[in-house]
Amino acid sequence: MKKECIAMLLAGGQGSRLYVLTGDMAKPAVPFGGKFRIIDFPLSNCTNSGIDTVGVLTQYRPLELNSYIGNGQPWELDRMNGGVHILPPYQSNSGAGWYKGTANAICQNIGFVDLYDPEYVAVLSGDHIYKMDYSRMLRRHKETGADCTISVMEVPWHEAGRFGIMNVDGEDVITEFEEKPKQPKSNLASMGIYIFTWKKLRAYLLRDEADPNSSNDFGKNVIPAMLAAGEKMVAYRFEGYWKDVGTLESLWDANMDMLSPGSGLNLLDKSWPIYSRAPSCPPAFFGGSADVGNSAVAKGCDIRGEVKNTVLSYNAAVEEGAVVSYSVLMPGAVVKQGAKVEYAILGENSVVGAGAHVGGGPETAADPEKWGVAVLGPGTRVCDGETVPAGTMLDKTHGQEAEA
Amino acid sequence: MNGMHGIIFSYEKSNGLRELTEHRIHGSVPFGGSYRMVDFILSDMVNAGIRDVGVIMHGQCQSMMDHLRSGKSWDLSRSFGGLTLLPVFAYNSARGNGRFRGKLEALDVVKDYLRHIRQDYVVLADSDVALNIDLQEVLQAHIATGADITAVCAPSTEDGLYLNMDGSGRVREVVEQQREGFRCLQIFLLRTDLLLSLVERFVSRNEYSFQEYVIQGLTEELHIHGYIFHGFAAHITDVAGYYESSMQLLDPAVRQDLFSPRRPIYAKENDAASTYMDPAGGCLHSLVDDGCDIQGSVRSSIISRGVRVEKGAVVDGCILFKDTVVAKDAVLRHVIADKNVKVGVGVHLEGTEKYPMVLAKGSEV
Repeated sequence: MKKECIAMLLAGGQGSRLYVLTGDMAKPAVPFGGKFRIIDFPLSNCTNSGIDTVGVLTQYRPLELNSYIGNGQPWELDRMNGGVHILPPYQSNSGAGWYKGTANAICQNIGFVDLYDPEYVAVLSGDHIYKMDYSRMLRRHKETGADCTISVMEVPWHEAGRFGIMNVDGEDVITEFEEKPKQPKSNLASMGIYIFTWKKLRAYLLRDEADPNSSNDFGKNVIPAMLAAGEKMVAYRFEGYWKDVGTLESLWDANMDMLSPGSGLNLLDKSWPIYSRAPSCPPAFFGGSADVGNSAVAKGCDIRGEVKNTVLSYNAAVEEGAVVSYSVLMPGAVVKQGAKVEYAILGENSVVGAGAHVGGGPETAADPEKWGVAVLGPGTRVCDGETVPAGTMLDKTHGQEAEA
Repeated sequence: MNGMHGIIFSYEKSNGLRELTEHRIHGSVPFGGSYRMVDFILSDMVNAGIRDVGVIMHGQCQSMMDHLRSGKSWDLSRSFGGLTLLPVFAYNSARGNGRFRGKLEALDVVKDYLRHIRQDYVVLADSDVALNIDLQEVLQAHIATGADITAVCAPSTEDGLYLNMDGSGRVREVVEQQREGFRCLQIFLLRTDLLLSLVERFVSRNEYSFQEYVIQGLTEELHIHGYIFHGFAAHITDVAGYYESSMQLLDPAVRQDLFSPRRPIYAKENDAASTYMDPAGGCLHSLVDDGCDIQGSVRSSIISRGVRVEKGAVVDGCILFKDTVVAKDAVLRHVIADKNVKVGVGVHLEGTEKYPMVLAKGSEV
């Protein structure tokens, strides 16, 4: 069944900079914003953009992601022709190999792409929070006759050195690509979102694969090779909210962005819905002693305490006398009576015991450079009355030595 | 193969719900913020392993069909069996296109459907009762007691049909308006072949009421057994009852029972993001669904998806359906606002607990 454009979603990364949050799951499966997981954003963007065939390349800890995506129903990607497909590494008679890099992951699945004989392939990352209409980008790709279109956004000049920077001519044709330049010549940063003309990409993937010195990565190898060979590469300017949530700070920031109207991340906007697979639960309950302000509250929550500037995911609970501020509670997290939680990320089903104190504000840090949010991994239990200082990370093995 | 088949009746029986059923039938009346009435019995059936369910509807059923669609939300979307919608569009009795005169008439209209039921047992249920019942347990009891028909009932003091049982639990007498004892919850379990023969027998004599001719009329001939349900059951027949039952959901023990995690109640998925609680807003003793924007003060209320309460507005003891907007400084007390109602700036509206004010769908005040 021929498709004009299909998407390949890179979701195999460990996300090691999310530490305890990705101990048991790949980064794209990490919960976000109360009802979502990170991968909901690119998947929903595909559906909303009219792309109905998506290959999801998985490698690290795929269980959570596989069961989450399932048949793709929440994203309307359960199709007779096309739909969402999980593509793990596999064995063949020439041997078995893990995905060596982002380009190699697609290269190993040339057979999958060829099934749909597409004109174009969108290559997407599974760890960005943004709402984007890929069909507009595709239209531009076709209009300019490009071989590769790279989505870019303007970043503040002083931050440009942290990104892959695209230098362009007057018509936004890319003339040079610099990875983390010390002296940036432009402030157009690559967002890691590409549309390729499939015939071209296919050839470059095979060439890249044949090169034993290549690290088989889009940013490091394939894009520079195409640019060097003089292929037409065009920058597509994106305006709107976009955030790479690859670190604990950026994940926390992005959640907080939901609570500030000026951030551009408005999830109540119905024109571009983000779909998710969330369990059935009753509406959130606000008890007689609840005091909730500037917070996002999802279904199934049970709130009896004080909650300020916080994202509460479904089935989270804050008991009487507890105070939660500037925090992210992932699904099923519980803060018991009288506990205090500030500047923290509480992983799924973690429990903060009665009277415990987790996290602290930047003003409490002796050295502001070293301050960070406190993080509890999924299933972590903090004992009654325990103190977990700012910047601490605990996982579910915490406290087990003591009990044993 | 699971032995039970579900049949749900959803058609107009009375006008007790006034404006709330002007645009919809009982089964699709919103309840508990996230649900429609039919979600409860439908989820109960699915949780008992029932995989074939027919929904007989008559009257304003567009909203119901919109809600159920293919049954995906309840995992009932199957190419063979699953959810079957049985809207009675083409039904014309000699009386014209009026209400059904009883369940037997409704069943007779879909006789072809009944003949193709693969399961040995059928569960008949109305869609105006919200409860979380283990129907497998009802089936076990049905088999253990050797009953012909098992009727589910619950201790009650309200109006309705009461089952008087002997010491063994067999129903000996069925009376109305007794207001004490065990009230029938209109959930019946019986063998499929018995159901077919009862439909044939009574309809041929122009007798259509299942309640009158079977449950009341055959207590001697058949072994009708009462199954006593002790959980929370909200039987919604009028606006005051609807309001009272809704408010009971604010009691944690009631929610624990109705929304038991062991047997979840499934609702149609929604793609709303979380509710946003503004710093200026306050919300106490209330249930709030996703996608709301709460800038005002909300107390003792049940708020459905997508509702906006603007700054300075007060919502107290209200039930607001989907996408209601309460503008700045408006005050609502004991009001039930149907879908898409817009309450203007500074408007004051007040009903009472016994007679809550109902604002019809889409109205602007």
